[in-house]
Amino acid sequence: MATSLKSNSAPLAGLEFDPSACGVLTAVRAEAYQAFLDRGVPTTKDEEYKYTPVTDLADRYFVQGGPVPVPESAITEWIYGDLDQIRIVFVNGHFSEELTTSLRGVEGLEIRTLSCALGGRQEIIEDLFGKLVKPQQFPFAGLNTGTFKEGTYIRISANTKIEKPIHILNIATADANGATQYVAPRTLVVVEGGADATLIETFATYGDGPSFTNAVTEIHIEPNGHLQLVKVQQEGLKSHHIANTEVHQAPDSAFNHYSVTFGGKLTRNDLNVFLDGQNIHTRMDGIVVIDGEQLADNHTRLDHAYANCNSFEVYKHVLGGESTGVFNGKIFVHQDAQKTDAKQTNNTILLSGKATMNSKPQLEIFADDVKCTHGATVGYLDRDPVFYMQARGIPKAQAEALMVYAFAAEVLEKITVPGLVESLEAMLFAKLNVQ
Amino acid sequence: MLRIDQLKADVENKQILKGLSLEVKPGEVHAIMGPNGSGKSTLASILAGRDAYEITGGSVDFDGQDLLEMAPDERAHAGLFLAFQYPVEIPGVSNAYFLRQALNSVRKARGEAELDSLQFMNFIKEKIKMLELDQTMLQRSVNEGFSGGEKKRNEIFQMAVLEPKLCILDETDSGLDIDALKTVADGVNALRSPERSFVVITHYQRLLNYIVPDFVHILMEGRIVRSGGRELALELEEKGYGWIEEELATGGRA
Repeated sequence: MATSLKSNSAPLAGLEFDPSACGVLTAVRAEAYQAFLDRGVPTTKDEEYKYTPVTDLADRYFVQGGPVPVPESAITEWIYGDLDQIRIVFVNGHFSEELTTSLRGVEGLEIRTLSCALGGRQEIIEDLFGKLVKPQQFPFAGLNTGTFKEGTYIRISANTKIEKPIHILNIATADANGATQYVAPRTLVVVEGGADATLIETFATYGDGPSFTNAVTEIHIEPNGHLQLVKVQQEGLKSHHIANTEVHQAPDSAFNHYSVTFGGKLTRNDLNVFLDGQNIHTRMDGIVVIDGEQLADNHTRLDHAYANCNSFEVYKHVLGGESTGVFNGKIFVHQDAQKTDAKQTNNTILLSGKATMNSKPQLEIFADDVKCTHGATVGYLDRDPVFYMQARGIPKAQAEALMVYAFAAEVLEKITVPGLVESLEAMLFAKLNVQ
Repeated sequence: MLRIDQLKADVENKQILKGLSLEVKPGEVHAIMGPNGSGKSTLASILAGRDAYEITGGSVDFDGQDLLEMAPDERAHAGLFLAFQYPVEIPGVSNAYFLRQALNSVRKARGEAELDSLQFMNFIKEKIKMLELDQTMLQRSVNEGFSGGEKKRNEIFQMAVLEPKLCILDETDSGLDIDALKTVADGVNALRSPERSFVVITHYQRLLNYIVPDFVHILMEGRIVRSGGRELALELEEKGYGWIEEELATGGRA
């Protein structure tokens, strides 16, 4: 058992590995953390971090603060008003009982804290936890595995449809002494055969302090299971957000993913989906609306391993100020994946001459009977419709916001939770300073 | 209501308007006719506030305000409306949403209460019938996939909803068959009132059979070279623009 680490000098000050806190998972967590130590914090010389500098994290001092109280009135926006939901809330990585709704009594849904689920559940430890993450490739996932305090375990029973969306809300608060608040949300989801559910992951900050959210979500979708995942990044402008979502899809399953990024100083999402069987449907869409000096980087990877699957991917960026967008979309079509239908699109609107977009489609195709397309566009807002709307009395800022809304709507309107879509649209207009 | 005085404007360093003057009083309908390239659409665009032009001289007064100093949306709030020659498609924004935003912007500027979606639907019900538009178009994206006739009817429909003081129709007849032309003209005529004025820009006199003007002006080479009553338009139809060019060349009336 690799419980002793080769090196004790943590590359991120304040974030040491504590084996005494890891219980039954000590070995697997130590190993993952070691992978992070071996790799270190990536620099921009690393191809995968070429446009996304994270090295300044090494100059910070991190704290993993306690579960400080966050008033219910503060979370209205992050829980999408009165959207009917099953909600589990974490503050600084600690389970918040006050802000969490009742988690019991929904037939076919098991939702509990990870620590609770791990107690005496050997199959979770042996078959599920950490099985999808690859710390050697994604060092921050290794860091998360070594440092998370608490997490969420969700299991949807076979052939059950959960009507209400399940919502995991992660809040990082400002540290009183100005240190960077570190939180490591950890989520493990199992969608059993024929089950159907919607999961919302929201990330937010309370107070105006620096924070670093380092999240890992592992999702297992069993045969004919359906999952819709909506991820909303609403953190403050002093926040670093690095997230690794790993999805394993069994035959005949469907996964629809929508990533919405408004917040954060720096956001890096790695979303990897493995299509492990035939007749799988995958959608991974994203909308990024940022300005100022924000940076948002979406790295996605799809592995088509078997025949007769389709995947659709649309990432849209709206970049104002001096913001930076990064999109890297890998699609691997393996040798046996005949009749694959994969379509990737990346469209960007620059609202300013100082914003930058780096877009890189990366398709590697080893099968010969497939349909794979990709397209990327970068441009400024079309002036004619803006003038047309102005000529009808709509002020310029509002006309531009409407254009952005129309651009974003293609992604947002696919989300099948109506109240959530409206809230996200309101957030979008707020982000554009228009009511 | 509108007083254009010696207006001069360039586009890409080429002078298009060369001292154009025109006065429109409340309730009047003015037709501006002229050959291609005479500056008709430039005039319409400048009045609406498109920024592709450089004003090099002259002034435009709209109800006591300096029109050229106003943003396009402020002009709309003040009661100016341009029916576009080429209405713009806005994918992803529904007609209903767009028009309600526009109406509420204008109402707000006028100090009137904004309308919620139900009040808005009641407000536009009659007007949509008048233009023979299908109710379902409200849920479609603005002008997207509309036929030429639908687009022009949509322009007049918007005009009917926004109730402007001064309506400028830029070649509204282009691309219309006779039935669509009649519908559009009926819509315009229904909006005529002693307080509302129209400037109808057209290449052909055909439209003026349906929207009968009080005055007809001939625009050539960036200037109004002749003004008269309705008979001037009929004369143009009969003889074309050539005879005016000849008269101008020989230093006749001008």
